Amino acid sequence: MLFFLGHIFPYITITVFLTGMTWRVLIWLNSPVPFQLTLFPAPQTFTGRVMSIGWEIISFESLWRGDRILWLWAWLMHGSLAVIIVGHIVGIYTLTLEFTLIGLSPGASSALSAGLGITAGIVCFLSLMVLFYRRTAIDEVKRLSDPVDYFVLLLLLAIVISGMHMRLTSLNIDLTAIRSYLAGILTLHPIPIPRTWIFVSHFTLVNILLLYFPFSKLFHGAGFVVNRGMLTEKPPIYPTPATRAGEARFS
Amino acid sequence: MKIKVPMYVAKPAELKAIGFSYTSESDQRDLAIKVMAELRNSMRSLMVMLETCTKCGNCARQCHSYLGTEDYNNFPAARAELLRRVYKRYFTWAGRIFGTFIGAEGFDEDTLGKWLTYFYQCNECRRCARFCPFGVDTAEITIMARHILSELGILPRFMQGIALNMKNTGNNMGIPKPAIMDSAQFMEDEMREETGLDIKIPVDKPNSDILYIPSSADFFTNVDTMLGVAKMFHVLGANWTIPSTILEAANFGLLFNYQVMRSHNLRLQQAARDLGARLVVQGECGHGWRAAKMYTEGCNGIFPFGLVHILEYCAAHLDRLRFKRLPLRVTLHDPCNYTRAGGVIEQPRKIIRACVEEFVEMTPNREDTFCCGGGSGILMDEMMDIRLKLGRKKVEQIQAVGDINYLAIPCSICKAQIPAVLKHHGIEKFEMGGVMDLVGKALVFDK
Amino acid sequence: MGMIMVKGRQIEVDEDGFIADPAVWNEDVVRYLADIEGVGELTEKHWKVINYLRDYFKQFGIAPMIRKLCKETGFSLKEIYELFPSGPAKGACKLAGLPKPTGCV
Repeated sequence: MLFFLGHIFPYITITVFLTGMTWRVLIWLNSPVPFQLTLFPAPQTFTGRVMSIGWEIISFESLWRGDRILWLWAWLMHGSLAVIIVGHIVGIYTLTLEFTLIGLSPGASSALSAGLGITAGIVCFLSLMVLFYRRTAIDEVKRLSDPVDYFVLLLLLAIVISGMHMRLTSLNIDLTAIRSYLAGILTLHPIPIPRTWIFVSHFTLVNILLLYFPFSKLFHGAGFVVNRGMLTEKPPIYPTPATRAGEARFS
Repeated sequence: MKIKVPMYVAKPAELKAIGFSYTSESDQRDLAIKVMAELRNSMRSLMVMLETCTKCGNCARQCHSYLGTEDYNNFPAARAELLRRVYKRYFTWAGRIFGTFIGAEGFDEDTLGKWLTYFYQCNECRRCARFCPFGVDTAEITIMARHILSELGILPRFMQGIALNMKNTGNNMGIPKPAIMDSAQFMEDEMREETGLDIKIPVDKPNSDILYIPSSADFFTNVDTMLGVAKMFHVLGANWTIPSTILEAANFGLLFNYQVMRSHNLRLQQAARDLGARLVVQGECGHGWRAAKMYTEGCNGIFPFGLVHILEYCAAHLDRLRFKRLPLRVTLHDPCNYTRAGGVIEQPRKIIRACVEEFVEMTPNREDTFCCGGGSGILMDEMMDIRLKLGRKKVEQIQAVGDINYLAIPCSICKAQIPAVLKHHGIEKFEMGGVMDLVGKALVFDK
Repeated sequence: MGMIMVKGRQIEVDEDGFIADPAVWNEDVVRYLADIEGVGELTEKHWKVINYLRDYFKQFGIAPMIRKLCKETGFSLKEIYELFPSGPAKGACKLAGLPKPTGCV
């Protein structure tokens, strides 16, 4: 069992994740855009488009203009998740010593790393709980939701909870062993998975998420970019030989 | 269809007259899936928008249709779900395998009835796209759902009647050429009486620089809009004409079937070519502007003519026009298809400010404007109850502006919907009309 | 599509109550439709409008511009609404046996 979870499953999930994401985006991009769907006011230049899409990613402005409470918890959830992911990559790679690069002592770096991680974890946990509650409390959203919408929140909660458990009861966690294991996976020279049950659970849950990702609404990140790409396209300039002569036409 | 739908539906003989046919109930499901597959392969938006909703619900409080009718299925994400659930069931692996767990559902006997009922209660105003984090545009989904229905032979009689008129006469009202000539003559007489000048409305004049496309309603009820345009062209000394083959800025094909949209649009090109025009100027029509500006290339390829909206044209030439400002307090209704879908936002304001003493804004305005409730051709008399609810937010906005003398409405559908809704609320104390109407009334002639 | 009975004759009307075939129009049909439309007794003024509409339709195949209708009959739009509560398009045209004006109206 541990062999499967440690040596085989991660490769399955990474493959499915990467090919699934690529496949879906390629299917989308393979379908033409015969009519420009520009949503005005729209940026006039390519830089403007990048900035407008980038700004929406950073600020969630459309939610801010709509429902401020939703904005708060959605933003906090995504923000803390981003901090956690970056923190995992940086923190595991440097074994929590990343802040020595800016002059902190190893002890202080570990403490800061832990502090940031715990804070991000708590914020993520809280926001997931609020979003879950919201989904049950607001009539329209409740009626709109499918079972899978709750499932995904529960999966994320399970990942955050198992991760926090590792962090808050950190006596048995051997970060060096974890780092070696992950390095083994990534360099295609896998070693046995560390036998700490909490790590195995956390890691497996993350793998399940990766497996699930390309087939689910979690793919909305890609949808965001592709769709907003369409909405910020420049309108045609007339006479039209100036723009897209000969391109996709609806038939 | 078991559900009672709120509009009269076109009958088989009526469908035949516009080249459509009714699909028998046993074949409907398969044909619908086939049409969806075709759309999926020819338009990226269908896939991306149906696959990217996270059910956050931010769109609910922003949609005038939902706020006005208080019907769950009119909330944008719920409306899209009517199509999305079927799409997921037939076009996604997760949907095929996990069914209702992930929100996938097959056709049942009520599906098409619900589509007809609710996709004709979306005004295609795109306001939801402004508030969706991903920009999912329910208008786009509605356009596609209506197309699928029409391919099955399911469409409102109202749409069929208009399409038939367009086919027979080149305009939605069914005005034949002799009537166009008679009306143009009448309008010229009116202007001569009013100004003492010989202001022409040239029809089918060859070698014109400008081809002006009015809304056919400008030749029936909204005459002041046409007069305003004629007067402006006269003062500018423009070499212009209107085509009798397409006396219609509107393109109802955009509102129910892509192929019909293409054939309407083709007339525009042919008219410009036949009359040797360099510049096509679209009149006061919202969705018609969107169709002309954004759909022409995709419909019929290269369009080797200039294309502007009459308000863009007028605003660009304001310095050559002289006005005696009218003593009116005016507010502007921003048509959705001008602001969100057509990029004509500041021009009407510029023009109104030049023509009247006082201009006040409604709130919200510009790209956050609320639809009048008639958008996408929801002008059926039999749907008046629903139309009144769809227009509720707009009425609130108008009431909130306070006392006004004139409500500027630069779109034909809005010109038909807003007075009907206001009349129902007993609000009839100000004039309503287009922006070019004001130009016609305020313009000063040199000689 | 439905049927109305006018003095023993069956006349086809559409869902909005407009007669399907302009050729079957006669004064009895007008009186029948006037009752339905709540027009009341048909005066000379009513007939002036109706006859103008009929003549214009015969000549041009469509209803006239509303402004022209007003000018040629000498009635203001307000007066026309008083004569035909549903207005020139939905009221007067119906009684005159014209097809219902459609489009953005």
